[in-house]
Amino acid sequence: MFARALARFRGPNPLNLLEQQGRRTIATATTVNADEIAHFSKLSEHWWDEQGEFKMLHRMNPVRVQFIRDRVVRTRQDEGMPDATDLRGLNALDIGCGGGLLSESLARLGANTLAIDASEANIRIATAHSSQDPLFNASSSVAHKTLAYRHATSHDLVEEGKQFDLVCSLEVIEHVDNPAGFLESCAALVKPGGHLVLSTIARTPLAYFMTIFMAERVLGIVTPGTHSYSKYVNASELLEFFRTRIPWLPKGPADPPSHLAELRGMIYYPLSGNWGLLPRGAPLALDCNYIFWLRKPV
Amino acid sequence: MFRESFLRPTEPACAVAIESKRAIYTFNLTSVNAPDASSTRNGLYSQTYASTASVQDYDVVIVGGGPVGLALACALVSPLRRDSSLRVALIEASDLSAVRKWQPEGDSFSNRVSSITNASREFLQGIGAWDLVDESRTMAIEEMQVWDGVSDARIEFGEATLPSGRGLEMARLTENLNLQRALLRRLDNLSSPTFTILDKTKVSSIVPDTERSTWPVVHLHPSQSSGVAHQAPERREQTSPLPLRARLLVGADGPSSPVRAFSKIETYGWSYDARAIVATMVHDGNLLTSFGTPRNTTTAYQRFLPTGPIAFLPLSTTRASLVWSTTPELAQALLDAGDDVLARMVNAAFRLPDLSMRYLHQFILDRWHAAVPEVVGADGKMSKKGYLGVDEIEGEIRWRERAHSIDASSALSSLPDATTRTSSGMIPSADAEFYPPLVGHIQARSAASFPLRMAHAERYLGQGVRTALIGDAAHTTHPLAGQGLNLGLGDCQSLANAIHTAHSLGQDVGSFTALESYPRQRYLVNHGMLSAVDKLKKLYGTRNGPIVWARSVGLETINELDGLKRMFMGVAGADGDADRVVRRRTPDRDIGRSENREGISTASAEAASGHSSLGNREEVVSRLESTSHGVPTWAGMLASAVEGVAGMVDVGTRILRQRF
Repeated sequence: MFARALARFRGPNPLNLLEQQGRRTIATATTVNADEIAHFSKLSEHWWDEQGEFKMLHRMNPVRVQFIRDRVVRTRQDEGMPDATDLRGLNALDIGCGGGLLSESLARLGANTLAIDASEANIRIATAHSSQDPLFNASSSVAHKTLAYRHATSHDLVEEGKQFDLVCSLEVIEHVDNPAGFLESCAALVKPGGHLVLSTIARTPLAYFMTIFMAERVLGIVTPGTHSYSKYVNASELLEFFRTRIPWLPKGPADPPSHLAELRGMIYYPLSGNWGLLPRGAPLALDCNYIFWLRKPV
Repeated sequence: MFRESFLRPTEPACAVAIESKRAIYTFNLTSVNAPDASSTRNGLYSQTYASTASVQDYDVVIVGGGPVGLALACALVSPLRRDSSLRVALIEASDLSAVRKWQPEGDSFSNRVSSITNASREFLQGIGAWDLVDESRTMAIEEMQVWDGVSDARIEFGEATLPSGRGLEMARLTENLNLQRALLRRLDNLSSPTFTILDKTKVSSIVPDTERSTWPVVHLHPSQSSGVAHQAPERREQTSPLPLRARLLVGADGPSSPVRAFSKIETYGWSYDARAIVATMVHDGNLLTSFGTPRNTTTAYQRFLPTGPIAFLPLSTTRASLVWSTTPELAQALLDAGDDVLARMVNAAFRLPDLSMRYLHQFILDRWHAAVPEVVGADGKMSKKGYLGVDEIEGEIRWRERAHSIDASSALSSLPDATTRTSSGMIPSADAEFYPPLVGHIQARSAASFPLRMAHAERYLGQGVRTALIGDAAHTTHPLAGQGLNLGLGDCQSLANAIHTAHSLGQDVGSFTALESYPRQRYLVNHGMLSAVDKLKKLYGTRNGPIVWARSVGLETINELDGLKRMFMGVAGADGDADRVVRRRTPDRDIGRSENREGISTASAEAASGHSSLGNREEVVSRLESTSHGVPTWAGMLASAVEGVAGMVDVGTRILRQRF
């Protein structure tokens, strides 16, 4: 009985399921879920309310940025830029930018950032917010960072043949239809040797308890319906995906080498009110929120 | 909701900009279901860039160039990575070149002095400012003597005699100007292209940026200081500097903070109905201990009189700073009576029993009320200056001393011949070190007073307005623990860390989330200090018998409990080194104390603690005896238990401090 309950919780692999349902080619596939777009459009005015709906995301942002910055900077230092300390000069793409929390940070760290979202309302809010900041405001005397927003999907950019040094899509996979197709389009947008960063939530009882039961129902910090459990992706499934379907990582059960990929769990510390990365290999580290960085082979 | 303030095409230029940009966004989408929101605009956010040429953009604008504001600037202006550093501006109303040029004579000291704790000093060293402090004008505090003005119950901190002859430093007394000058020099040395000081500049108003909603814009005008008025007319006709638009506006602008008012942050607190008299005191440094060796001058003294505490804070071997908080009336009366009367009264206030101090206070107040104000100087100000002669007050003190049978050889005597006694090389009585050196006179024009209040802002961060408060803008406290500036420097350190972290991670340093760690780290710590100081002030403001008894027993108990004492010292100065600093003093007391602690009441303990040469401190001695008498052994166990609990609380607070 217990095993059956667990099996129910484990559920089918979203990345595999759609594969079985029949492949759609990237060029024609749409991964955008209309309900999700409506949901986030409705909430879009709250994106920059740091005490409101997206409070947790605001608090999570520094940890995500640090993870991305450290991985990218380490690679740059290893590959002929010993003085690199930030993302200066890189072309970055933020897919599913929402209000632009991550996009602004990437741009502040020096990346020429393009941020896209399938919701027009989100793009409007993000543009309005970034234009308040003289750093991004071309007419300001101190403006020296580039940040552009576009109402577009990843497939649109694939069709345009664009590629970027750094592609980020954080907390997005669990909101799209056909996540496998979505990942393929993300991968296609990465330049050879470039970086892809993804983050999502694992499909585990712990994650259900934290992100749906506590966050949505008990504490009410997130609007009910924001998360759908069946769309959560496990870290192992993601790894498997990038070993087989998109063969960027060497095959085999071993963890991928740290210069190619890294998986880290993220945890919220309620007492100190901030998020942190869990140590590599900590128990249950990848059973809730996690972030995944990997490089596209040259 | 629709906010009209977003739409302000007042000037034609703005209107044109709106037209040309056509950048009108729905900002408040309250009931939008479809992605296409353009049809349901119920709140308009218009972007205009017309004014960008008429404002200067800064990441951090600090209002207030006191030690706290300057320290934050120093902490933010990093000598490394100039290309990516923050743009910082500091606004100060006064002329800071006067501070830069501050070059006092060797033995004259400013009356505004702070006790810099070791933690604060480490922070100042870290930002490269402490090395520029003239250390010869600072004084290490290695001991503290604190006692009850009513019962004479006493607590001692520090270590008298290390083999090296030097104790461990608990805090460093530093003139505020000395620190301020060091901070300015540090900033000048850095000469960062991204940092600007706007001194002689006042904040005329702070308004939200009308086009960009929440970003605060600081409007400025040159301050009409007297120094400017004397200069050539063309200097005076400076045009107002450009307004500054701040990503983050930091209020280091003192108790009546304009930034706090702009942020709509309430404070709570109360006025103490008290004023602190400050002055630089001059004494004969040639002091001996009862062993005939030179007495060290690194001891700070504080006596809690029911009218308020009086503190003697050494600045050099012959100079010390006075902080005497008392009723506003008495403060005025003492200042009007002149420096010589003040000096006599300071000596008396450290020595005479409370009864006599009450009598002297009443005497001075009666004379002050009876005096007729006279016009002083050309500006027609009325003053009662000089209503009381030095001879008169000396006569009164002499009479009170006789009433308590204090003779000239006693440490409690503050008669003028007592001063000559110490310098003539006579060995003073054993308890001489429990009292500060006799003050000879007050440094000219150093006596002043300021009102005391306790206030704490209900928040340190403005909500949605990109502001933060530090130092006195966030909290003011009674000076009895000497913590005001230290709390402010702690704020600086915490806020600067938050800003640096956020900046290095591409966060918006003016956002609430980026700065959240600052109030988390500081609010409870500051609140604890403010309320502890407030309770202390109230506890010692009474003559009520049972309360005096309880506080005296409490104080003497604490004096025996190293763990608790360490806690107090951790905040009163030492921090970190406290373990090693808490030791007992003179050998005779040591025996008495340790016996007491173990709860053994024997005649030998009495003999050891009592009848050596402490004749003049009958009250102290009798209290010592009464506590060592008849204390059963369980008291020793209780004491250990309390100490254990205190230790746990200590550990607990340290953990909590890290967590929050």
